[in-house]
Amino acid sequence: MRHRFVFVFAAALLVLTGFVAADDKTGVAANKAPRAADGHPDLSGIWAYAIDLPPVVLKKQVNGSVSTKTIDQSWRESAKTPVPGALPSTAAPSYKPEFREKVKHLFDNESKLDPVFYCGKPGVPRIGSPRRIIQLPGEMVFLYEDISGDPYRIIPTDGRAHRTDANPSYYGDSVAHWEGNTLVVDVTNFLKDGWFGEGGYFHTDAMHVTERLWRDGENLVWQATVDDPKVLTAPWTMGPRVVKPSSDPLEESPPCIEDDGNRLLNSDHHQQR
Amino acid sequence: MRYKISFILIFFTVLFAAGSLPAHHSPSAVFDMEKKFTVAGTLTQVDWINPHIVVFLDAKKDDGSAETWKFESNPPSWFRRVGIARNDLAKAIGQNVTVEGARAKNGSLYGYLLKITFLDGNSLELLFDSPNKTP
Repeated sequence: MRHRFVFVFAAALLVLTGFVAADDKTGVAANKAPRAADGHPDLSGIWAYAIDLPPVVLKKQVNGSVSTKTIDQSWRESAKTPVPGALPSTAAPSYKPEFREKVKHLFDNESKLDPVFYCGKPGVPRIGSPRRIIQLPGEMVFLYEDISGDPYRIIPTDGRAHRTDANPSYYGDSVAHWEGNTLVVDVTNFLKDGWFGEGGYFHTDAMHVTERLWRDGENLVWQATVDDPKVLTAPWTMGPRVVKPSSDPLEESPPCIEDDGNRLLNSDHHQQR
Repeated sequence: MRYKISFILIFFTVLFAAGSLPAHHSPSAVFDMEKKFTVAGTLTQVDWINPHIVVFLDAKKDDGSAETWKFESNPPSWFRRVGIARNDLAKAIGQNVTVEGARAKNGSLYGYLLKITFLDGNSLELLFDSPNKTP
């Protein structure tokens, strides 16, 4: 009897272990993510800073003692394996032929023409994933730290429609709903002539952005799709970003005062966000 | 000297050309990577601003006249995440410091701060990461 119990227990453990392993392999980590009181995945928390930082080491010498400090930005590298739940993505949007020359011109002169380079608001989706998410019944609050300032977004999740009286803005008007374990944020009512990405990716007031956020284990995944039927041939889905949780508290961003524009001697530039 | 030039070339290649930074342009559009230089003078001002922090130095020229140098450096979000706050620099306002940097191409009294050494010998220096690690 005792042996039978041990056998049954061991078999159950093996089956359970097998299920867990299979669960990991199939990437259903979101099912194991913490959940809010309403049963939806809990996206709340502080998440890693979304803007690239220089890959520079600080060497500090104090009273003859030398130390170095490096910033871990490994999470910003492309995922080595497919991200569970992610939509197929492409590297760049497809513009209608009549706009491709404009995109190239903007890209070639990005350091002079990109408003974000001169402290402009990046807007959605360029600002990337939120630094902090506060998940409330019926609404989500997204907080950001950005070079241009620290915007927030209050996003209803109670089924209401978009506002009809809101002024167009860089961050648009957002409403969200759950599709399974994914929060789907629908964003409209943008100002025209913003850039939704480096590379001269300008948009019009017809831009429509869909952000998807879900948990992959302890991490947050953020992926955005941009549509602008006035200038794009098809909606563009960018690659997913897997964002680590962070213990780095939010802090008011220092003022942005750009002072290099008059010193630029060529158009060299680099990726930012 | 040759080592220093190689260092600075690699530094800027990794930092600015290949990298993705929270700045707005490549500093190669502003600074001459081969002109690393040193200025000693009185630290007069530290501006903790985006997209680059800025420090000012009053230095004396060989003829004894004064000139004001301006250096920008990494973004405040980088300094914050390597554990450096404004006051780590600002506490030396009014004191003599030595700054190593890369000179602006336009010849103005402007540079990119790579190292600052304080009166007590303590220093903060920006080093390029492993060349194999791309940002």
